[in-house]
Amino acid sequence: MTHSKQHESDVLIDCQSVWKIFGARAKAAVDAVQRDGLSKTQILNEYDCVVGVSDASLQVRRGEIFCIMGLSGSGKSTLVRLLNRLIEPSLGRIMVKGKDISALNAAELRDMRARHIGMVFQSVALLPNRTVLENAAFGLEIRGVGKEERFKTARAALDKVGLSDWTGRYPSQLSGGMQQRVGLARAIAADPEIILMDEPFSALDPLIRRQLQDEFRQLTKSLGKSAVFITHDLEEAIRIGDRIAIMKDGVIVQVGDAEEIVTRPADDYVAEFVGGISRVHLVKAHSIMIPVAQYLSGPHTNIGALVRTTPEADIGALIDLTLQSGRDTIAVVDDGEVVGIVTTRALLGGVSGSQIATLAAA
Amino acid sequence: MDTTVITDVFDERIDDALIWIGDNAAFLFEGIRAALEGTYEAILWLVSLPPFYVMALLVGVLGWRLIRWQAGVLAGVALVACAAMGLWSETMSTLALVATATMMALLIGIPLGIIAGFVRTFDRILQPSLDLIQTLPPYIYLLPAIALMGYGPATALFATVIVAMPPVVRLTSLGIRRTPHAFIELGHASGLTPWQMFAKIRMPFAVPSMMAGINQSLMMAFGMVVIAGIVGSGGLGETIYSAVRTLDIATSINAAIAIVILTMIIDRLTQSAAALAKGAAS
Repeated sequence: MTHSKQHESDVLIDCQSVWKIFGARAKAAVDAVQRDGLSKTQILNEYDCVVGVSDASLQVRRGEIFCIMGLSGSGKSTLVRLLNRLIEPSLGRIMVKGKDISALNAAELRDMRARHIGMVFQSVALLPNRTVLENAAFGLEIRGVGKEERFKTARAALDKVGLSDWTGRYPSQLSGGMQQRVGLARAIAADPEIILMDEPFSALDPLIRRQLQDEFRQLTKSLGKSAVFITHDLEEAIRIGDRIAIMKDGVIVQVGDAEEIVTRPADDYVAEFVGGISRVHLVKAHSIMIPVAQYLSGPHTNIGALVRTTPEADIGALIDLTLQSGRDTIAVVDDGEVVGIVTTRALLGGVSGSQIATLAAA
Repeated sequence: MDTTVITDVFDERIDDALIWIGDNAAFLFEGIRAALEGTYEAILWLVSLPPFYVMALLVGVLGWRLIRWQAGVLAGVALVACAAMGLWSETMSTLALVATATMMALLIGIPLGIIAGFVRTFDRILQPSLDLIQTLPPYIYLLPAIALMGYGPATALFATVIVAMPPVVRLTSLGIRRTPHAFIELGHASGLTPWQMFAKIRMPFAVPSMMAGINQSLMMAFGMVVIAGIVGSGGLGETIYSAVRTLDIATSINAAIAIVILTMIIDRLTQSAAALAKGAAS
């Protein structure tokens, strides 16, 4: 999708074969991994060390919301802390905006964290002795921005998250959802290019969570920020993320956009997760259409008279189209050429997720 | 072998050591004595400045503002009662004594507590020392002080400072060490310098614990009032001590009542002030 030339400069975070091994003998374990390529179980048995992140590579591009989804213990929280060096990697390289963050000294690292990588936590961590406004201005205060200017910026950030009436209150007077909005405003006020979100909405009730998910996505896009969003909820990852990485036992098992992950799960583990996800708005015509030749090999001969749609139309739209037209087949047209046919059977297959069966039967 | 020989030698050494210190480090103890008594005199001068009814009124207003009006009235009336028992100047000198000792204890104790909160090794040495200080009977601290600084308020202050210090040291270091992990992480992720981490994150979280420590130290200092009377502290402590020696039970009871009144007023006022400071903060 991206041109390779543009691609290079657009990568904000480049994580290259990163490992994190915890334990007293981590150093020896790392050597063993490098030398003999030991597995996680071997490292645990022979070195009594736990592998938090194992050979993880990922790239976060400018303007992108990158979700890392995994269950607890999958290493997702460790991985996100490697990106701003809250945790030191055992092996591998992490480039942020073209700089190897392992090479930064203490002052450079502080500057990188204060200016370029913001972070929002599940626990929110609002300072209880400060007002909402003072909390939102915290990042700027650290950088030595004057009181008037930082309060102005913080007020604008609070305005963006809809809390302009609450500036004088203390965190304890706010609901969980509002507190997390302040957390977001604090990150935005410091104006970093990248925001790391560590399960920010996991502790909120479902309704507020959905609301915040939509607001977060909209806000990030409108401000042109990039974000790495950690979650244990695949539905949340799909709602928010441009691309999703699925983690299991410290390994990134698959990276792709929502449709790729739902339609082409890399393994049984991902497939099991994807099973419960509604595909109606995720799966597009190009994933379920059958080749024109296959359609024509049946009793049908005329494709010119069919109702037409684009390859990007999702199942929901295709169902509507089928119902409205009163016919069973839709031609998928790209650049004026029919590239495939969506039959009703293919649609049903798309909804249930069993395309192979559909293709065989069609 | 006669075992008393050993103790005789030991006692001799101790005496020699004290004489040596008295001869060679007299300037040091003279300095400590002057600092303690100077501070004490200054505070005493200040609290003796207003007549008793003005002081009672001031404390009454303070009680009203910090707690509620009933508490203010009670505190004012109780102070007038101290004056009515003819113990006003003694009450004020006890107040000055406790205030001086607590101030000194905080001046030494808070920095020690902060260092202990950060440096594990220091904490490991400090903890048993504090345990020792708190286990020994407080009379013990009068002994070296009276040998080196003589009879009078300085010796009383010295012993009181030692007794009052442990709580504020302990609770300050505890407060520093107990910063919630999430906020330490916030500090790191926001790019705080070590100093900013201390001033903006660790300290605010340590304040409630420190306040409790300050109050405890103050109460320990009040507990030393009567004991310090033995070495000529002046004030209510000495009144009780000499009244007991002459079996003047009535006077000793009056002085005891005055101590209770003073202790309760100071305790309530400082606790309310601390709670108010905390309430504004959270």
